[in-house]
Amino acid sequence: MLSVLVWFPLFGVLLLALLPKSIDANKYARSVALVVAGLVFAWTVYIAVLFNPKQVTMQFGEFVPWIKAIGLNYHLAVDGLSLPLLGLNSLLTFIAIWSTDPEVERPRFYYALMLLLNSSVAGAFLAQDVLLFFLFYELEIIPLYFLIAIWGGARRSYAATKFLLYTAFSGIVLLATFLGIVWLSGASSFAYEPLRAIIVGASDTPSGLTLKLQLILMVGILLGFGIKIPFFPLHTWLPDAHVEASTPVSVLLAGVLLKLGTYGLLRYGVGLLPDAWVYLGPWLAVWAAVSALYGTSCAISQQDMKKVVAYASIAHMAFILLAAAASTELSMIAAVCQMVSHGLISALLFLLVGVVYKKTGSRDMFFLRGLLNPERGLPLVGSMMILGVMASAGIPGMVGFISEFLTFRGSYPIFPVQTLFCMLATGLTAVYFLLMINRVFFGRLPDELEPIPPVKWSDRLPAAILVVLIFLLGIQPNYIVRWSETQIAALIPYNPRPPQIMITNIPDQSMATVSSPIVAASPQIEITN
Amino acid sequence: MVSTPQLEPSKHQLAEFIHRLEAGEALLRDSPEHVLEVVGILKSYGVVLDAYSNNLIYIADHQFLVLFPLFKYFNGEINPGKILKFLWHDRINYEYAEYCMKSMFWHGGGGLDTYLDSPEFLEAIKPVIKARFKLNPLMLGLDRVFPDFLPEQIRQSAYYSGLGQFWRVMSDIFIDLSDRYDAGEIKTIPEVVDHILQGLVADASRPITYTVNIGGQDYDIIPKSANLTFLMDTAVPYVEAVFFRGTPFLGTVSYNAQAYQIPMFQGDFAYGALYADPLPIGCSGIPPTLLMQDMRHYLPDYLTEVYRQSLRKEEDLRIQICETFQKSMFCVTTAALQGLAPHPLTTDDLEEQKANRSYLEGWMNRFTKSRILQANAE
Repeated sequence: MLSVLVWFPLFGVLLLALLPKSIDANKYARSVALVVAGLVFAWTVYIAVLFNPKQVTMQFGEFVPWIKAIGLNYHLAVDGLSLPLLGLNSLLTFIAIWSTDPEVERPRFYYALMLLLNSSVAGAFLAQDVLLFFLFYELEIIPLYFLIAIWGGARRSYAATKFLLYTAFSGIVLLATFLGIVWLSGASSFAYEPLRAIIVGASDTPSGLTLKLQLILMVGILLGFGIKIPFFPLHTWLPDAHVEASTPVSVLLAGVLLKLGTYGLLRYGVGLLPDAWVYLGPWLAVWAAVSALYGTSCAISQQDMKKVVAYASIAHMAFILLAAAASTELSMIAAVCQMVSHGLISALLFLLVGVVYKKTGSRDMFFLRGLLNPERGLPLVGSMMILGVMASAGIPGMVGFISEFLTFRGSYPIFPVQTLFCMLATGLTAVYFLLMINRVFFGRLPDELEPIPPVKWSDRLPAAILVVLIFLLGIQPNYIVRWSETQIAALIPYNPRPPQIMITNIPDQSMATVSSPIVAASPQIEITN
Repeated sequence: MVSTPQLEPSKHQLAEFIHRLEAGEALLRDSPEHVLEVVGILKSYGVVLDAYSNNLIYIADHQFLVLFPLFKYFNGEINPGKILKFLWHDRINYEYAEYCMKSMFWHGGGGLDTYLDSPEFLEAIKPVIKARFKLNPLMLGLDRVFPDFLPEQIRQSAYYSGLGQFWRVMSDIFIDLSDRYDAGEIKTIPEVVDHILQGLVADASRPITYTVNIGGQDYDIIPKSANLTFLMDTAVPYVEAVFFRGTPFLGTVSYNAQAYQIPMFQGDFAYGALYADPLPIGCSGIPPTLLMQDMRHYLPDYLTEVYRQSLRKEEDLRIQICETFQKSMFCVTTAALQGLAPHPLTTDDLEEQKANRSYLEGWMNRFTKSRILQANAE
């Protein structure tokens, strides 16, 4: 069942490779890729329908022994953490393919890489074996490297190489860390659940990983995934990669690929090294705040629209670290929400910046002006950009509000100061995005910008779908929260910090309640030690 | 050989246009494309002006001192179908006609303005107010307390009527122009200008009067004896108020008058049809959008085809219409300049030429900030 998500895109790759040269490859490659991506998305929806959100354990497990000698198995399963990200992956892949210029060069190779990317990311989200995760994690670098290096902008080879160096280093560090975790914990294979059972279940006994070992290994996890997400000061590859990547690749990069990092942090950082995670929690929250404020201040000073969105992305990804560091049930749900929300919003913003660039040939905020002109500008694209910006700044009614509110509400009781700094960063979102909107979209359209070619509905529709989703999930947040709220609890470190208020579920209520002084005496709040 | 004394070329910033007018040409460069565009747009303008004119006259005559003129745009035909159509905005935007009327009313000028401020007018409307509100003591009482209110309303009604009568003539001129073009009689821009000029001259002394009927009795608001005529008392003030002065569009000009961001004197206003930037058409607060919206329904096919050839095709139709409309207004202005010139502009008499030159240079000073160069751009 889950294998379809990994293998069907690969089947698409094969199909593209086998397209006879005699037919119009441009036309057919795109159609094949769209159909495959569409079916993958439909299959993801089908899985979501069958998925039981109330079940705490992994679902739809598929297990095939692979290389017994090194303890590597092909083991896939899905839970409340990975399902929303799988949905994001298949939706954004479809949208990225759809928004690709139909006249793209070397279409067969391009679309094959897109599908390969989709397959490897799905594999990474589904892998129940740390080595298998690592394989998919590494596999995903290859198509992305080519997608930037071949179809990128002027400095594409620089950006692609930088991306490759950073993420390859991230991969090496992660491999070392995973090997360390497995060997030091005395596990017999790379299987995730048994490994977690050994570490988490036995941590009170001397046979578990000691805090010191966990801390050493945690450095590897933080470094490896910190590059991928990325956090300050490991982020420098990202703005370059975004600026040089074509629009659909930026959409996937921001929308999905960065989530591999945060997913890994939650699954392997929080999940496998809970003692170290809890121990480092306050400092991780500080890191989140620094990263958020750094991304924000960089975004304020940018001139290239794409760089603004890229730095905004860095700032908003940091909120996931804050939520994960707080490790309350609410904040963990918030982390998942923020991943989905950031995926949708940053994909939307990159899509729209892409349309602006395609139509005007510029992303320069000091050149572009007046694009909201109703007849000769890009009024609908501009309006959607304003909506995207509002969503990113956390305006109620849109998904950004839900995820940011959950993040801050979930993290504030644990790390008030760090949370306040992150809130400052989200407040400043309005500053850099409004500067951008004001410069690019308001005012009089300059004469030299007047010959803007007509915008087709095919340029607008992919973004419009994301706008609808951003509103839908903003008005009905339950559609994201329901997948994770039961299962995410299993990830929370078993040994939380000294006395603190834990959050528990009210069975009839879809959203987790939060600890607050007002309800502190209510029976749903338990004080744990 | 005896050389005839000749006028030196003008050194004016817009000397090119002065020489053009002196050579009997128009402010708009002559080209087959321009003829097609100008005639086509004036055709649709003629259709729209006809509707505007009918409505203005209807409002002046039948909505006279109606306190809540809810159905003033319905021309007396009120039924659910029309109300729905109205609310759905599938209609002529008569608001634009009122916008022009108010512009004219505000800037004033000409005999109409002078008459409406005269004691004769105030005398003439006294019985009108009495008759109109004879069953409404409250209004009569309020009229005593605020004696300027109702006269001002009646002045506005007079402008409704005046503009309605002016546009009645203009509409016919433009439709005739289109018919002559279709018949192959109009081939150049100077011919277009000449047609408009002849139309204006033909009706120059047509009297402007305004009579309302209250309770079966007619009351002259503008009697024939006021000697108001079409050309000098409505056409010229209209050109001044709407073509030249106008009013700044909301949201496009700062109203910080203390920083002199709008002119100190009303006479220095330069926001009219010859100056306005067509680009914001379609934005909120830009009244000409309404006119362009109305004209797009009546574009001749040949003009629509021209617009379809453009980069954005019909997406920026209203801006394209506005750009063409501005061109056509330079033709109408040319006709007005020719008509008002002290001597025929193509005269051979040096003295007359000199007088014309100073007349034209005076006018051209007002064109420096207009869109004349853009309208003539290739």
